[in-house]
Amino acid sequence: VTALALPATRVRGRRFRWNVGVLAAPVTVWLLFFFVAPFAVILWYSFGEKPSLYVTHDNSVLSFDRYVEAFNPAFFTVFGRTLQISLVGTLICLIIAFPMAYWMAVRLPMRFQGIAVALVLVPYWTNFLVRTIGWQIVLSPTSFVADISRSLGLGTPQLLYTTGAVQLGVVYNYLPLMILPLYVTLERLDHRLLEASRDLGANAFDTFRRVTLPIVMPGIAAGLLLVFVPLMGDYITPSVLGGAAGSMVGQQVASQFNVAQNWALGSAMAIVLMLAIIAVVVVFALLYRLLRALIDRYEHIPVLEGGA
Amino acid sequence: VTAIAAPVVRRRRADAGTVLLGIWGVLGFVFLFFPVLVIVAYSFNEGRLLQSYRGFGLGAYADALSNSAITSGVQVSIYVGVFSALVAAVLGSLAGVAIARRRGARWIGWLTALLALVMVTPEIVNAVSLLPWFVTLGTEWGFTPLNAGIVRLIIAHSLFSCAVVTFIVRARMAGLSESLEEAAADLGAPPIRRFFDITFPLMRPAVISGALLSFTLSLDNTVLSSFVSTADATPFPVYVFASVRSSLRPAIAAMSTLMLLLTLVALALVAIVLITSRRRTGEGMSLASTLAGG
Repeated sequence: VTALALPATRVRGRRFRWNVGVLAAPVTVWLLFFFVAPFAVILWYSFGEKPSLYVTHDNSVLSFDRYVEAFNPAFFTVFGRTLQISLVGTLICLIIAFPMAYWMAVRLPMRFQGIAVALVLVPYWTNFLVRTIGWQIVLSPTSFVADISRSLGLGTPQLLYTTGAVQLGVVYNYLPLMILPLYVTLERLDHRLLEASRDLGANAFDTFRRVTLPIVMPGIAAGLLLVFVPLMGDYITPSVLGGAAGSMVGQQVASQFNVAQNWALGSAMAIVLMLAIIAVVVVFALLYRLLRALIDRYEHIPVLEGGA
Repeated sequence: VTAIAAPVVRRRRADAGTVLLGIWGVLGFVFLFFPVLVIVAYSFNEGRLLQSYRGFGLGAYADALSNSAITSGVQVSIYVGVFSALVAAVLGSLAGVAIARRRGARWIGWLTALLALVMVTPEIVNAVSLLPWFVTLGTEWGFTPLNAGIVRLIIAHSLFSCAVVTFIVRARMAGLSESLEEAAADLGAPPIRRFFDITFPLMRPAVISGALLSFTLSLDNTVLSSFVSTADATPFPVYVFASVRSSLRPAIAAMSTLMLLLTLVALALVAIVLITSRRRTGEGMSLASTLAGG
């Protein structure tokens, strides 16, 4: 009986595997229909034009003119500012987050670590817009910060609606996205490696550079990516804190769709934004590979092979 | 002299380092909580404008709960949150199981790339592309359900969440061996029964935490919502965003504080689900790695 049953089981097993693959079909169809198709549509629109005041787009004549139009000096200024805010903001996030994550994962006793992670998550899961409004209250001319400044005789500071306000806002808003991946990588760091390095005579800096840093590189890369990508396309933070002085590309794209009703130009701007993000990510990935190769070449510690 | 002094100095320096790191960490938490506490504090503002504080009181809460624009906004938010989380949980878990159980198949690379693309596309690009698409489908091609703001919101919010749930479920299933399912198959259980008796109970913690994360992501969403929503279905964040341009009132801070409490309850549920499942099975992911996306 067993011998006869065996082939049947094998057939059933094969059918099982086929069934499992099919389970991915709904999400694929869903995303193709509501993510890929709409993107293809705006890609198509970006080659068209806005024919008249009351029509949003027209594709009877195809050209790259909208891309040329998108790169007008005003857009270029905003684009440059966006890139600057994004790069500086990502770097500041890393500078603030790394010691925090290191402290949480390596120096904080195990029983407090869960609480520390929860403390990072609570503000993160507070509404993004509402948190940003919290900063608007603080920076506004009627806030307690301005009161303190006035009582010190410094006058009312212009804090809101500046590039600095946007920079502060984005660093604040995306900081948890840097802390969490760093924490997760540092948590897995084997403390014995650090002790071994110290016992072998390395000082704190050498241990950090030659043991800690190479191990947490993937976490740093994940954090940089998680912060930079949404930051570059941010639309909420500059709308609440930036005013005209601190506007970013996201707002330009949005205003072409919301206000100017020029879907052709707005689409071209959205594509440019998307390409810029991909370009920065690719450059970053290449730099990361180069850095890893250099570390492997010059800082190689054979001990790690056994540990990892 | 150096040889003797070195260990002492080094130990003292390490202690100082820990103290400095501790101070840095605590300051970081103060920074993270600062605007949240400001919002909570200003929700007790009795003044007319949110930004100028005029004494303590609960008037803003009464305002928030009697303002129909705010309460209906919250209703829309919660409704959309629940349904988009359901859609994401169903689609994402199916895909997560498929990816985890068909490792090495060629389409997995493509699907993973698609999901990753969904996660890295800036929300604003997603938003401006969905708006014309919904208009085309709804008015020109006659898919009339897509003219309803609620339907548009549920679809738009489900996209990112689908990717999140897929990755969480995949991480969970990748850590579990297939032998239980194979045993059930050998014992003659049909595929449907195998799924509900074996596979689903195993992945349930991941599905529940994924769904709750999707719910909070949906509650949080402003950019997609402000593009695809219609006048009859305005979620709370879209109402707030519109007020930013006109005038912010303390009622908004009051309702935000209440929403924060709701989010905290959802987060606590995720934590409880993950902790109990880890206790029961002795395996599973840490809370941090789950919430950070596996």
